[in-house]
Amino acid sequence: MTYVLFTLSVLLVMGFVGFSSKPSPIYGGLALIVSGVVGCMIILNYGGAYLGLVMFLIYLGGMMVVFGYTAAMAIEEYPETWGSGFEVFGCFLVGLMMEVGLVLWVLEFDEVVVVVSLNDMGNWVVFEGEGLELVRGDSIGAGALYDYGRWLVVVAGWTLFVGVYIVIEITRGN
Amino acid sequence: MLAFTISLLGVLTYRSHLISSLLCLEGIILSLFIISTLTTLNIHFSLANIIPIALLVFAAREAAVGLALLISLSNTYGLDHIHNLNLLQC
Repeated sequence: MTYVLFTLSVLLVMGFVGFSSKPSPIYGGLALIVSGVVGCMIILNYGGAYLGLVMFLIYLGGMMVVFGYTAAMAIEEYPETWGSGFEVFGCFLVGLMMEVGLVLWVLEFDEVVVVVSLNDMGNWVVFEGEGLELVRGDSIGAGALYDYGRWLVVVAGWTLFVGVYIVIEITRGN
Repeated sequence: MLAFTISLLGVLTYRSHLISSLLCLEGIILSLFIISTLTTLNIHFSLANIIPIALLVFAAREAAVGLALLISLSNTYGLDHIHNLNLLQC
């Protein structure tokens, strides 16, 4: 069961390589959605149900829809995918090969120390609390945003308002 | 972690579209969200759950500003290719 998290983390890196190799924006958005889904499953495996739901709703549902519509407005007629052309496929393949090499290296020896040390399975085991909890930890912590973080809520709300005004001024042009 | 570095490389290298760099910026924010969420959940520090949510708020706002700039670029030039940004040519 511990290997589920390891596999999901490998899939996450592969999804990130998929849109960093820069195909046309529509396919990049597709790879970002896949990476978002895999990341959400990683968060769920750690026991963070509320934060995974937040990510699904706000990130994938909100921002990716906005990105999709904007990409549909601003692209050309023949989008290039991972199979067409040499550059995109080459970048994707190089990234995948490096990831596969890293995975094999971690599975051989139990530790990889390059800049950040990647242990074999020790990083992915959750430190569990004892017993059952009546109150879910992460949703209560996020609810503290409105209690201890009152000033943060005010600043974030004002930032969003100013951001909307900035966007309107930019798209007005002239 | 590794995904953050890959997305960072994706932002720094240009291809013909500006929106693909914005997509890699979204990837950076996604990787930061995952890192902060996993750290907070692993050490059971409940109060730090605010950090990923606040990060999402500001990330959504800067993504919208980036897209607005892209739309203004697309309105003046028809497409959002990088070589359209050549007003300051020497």
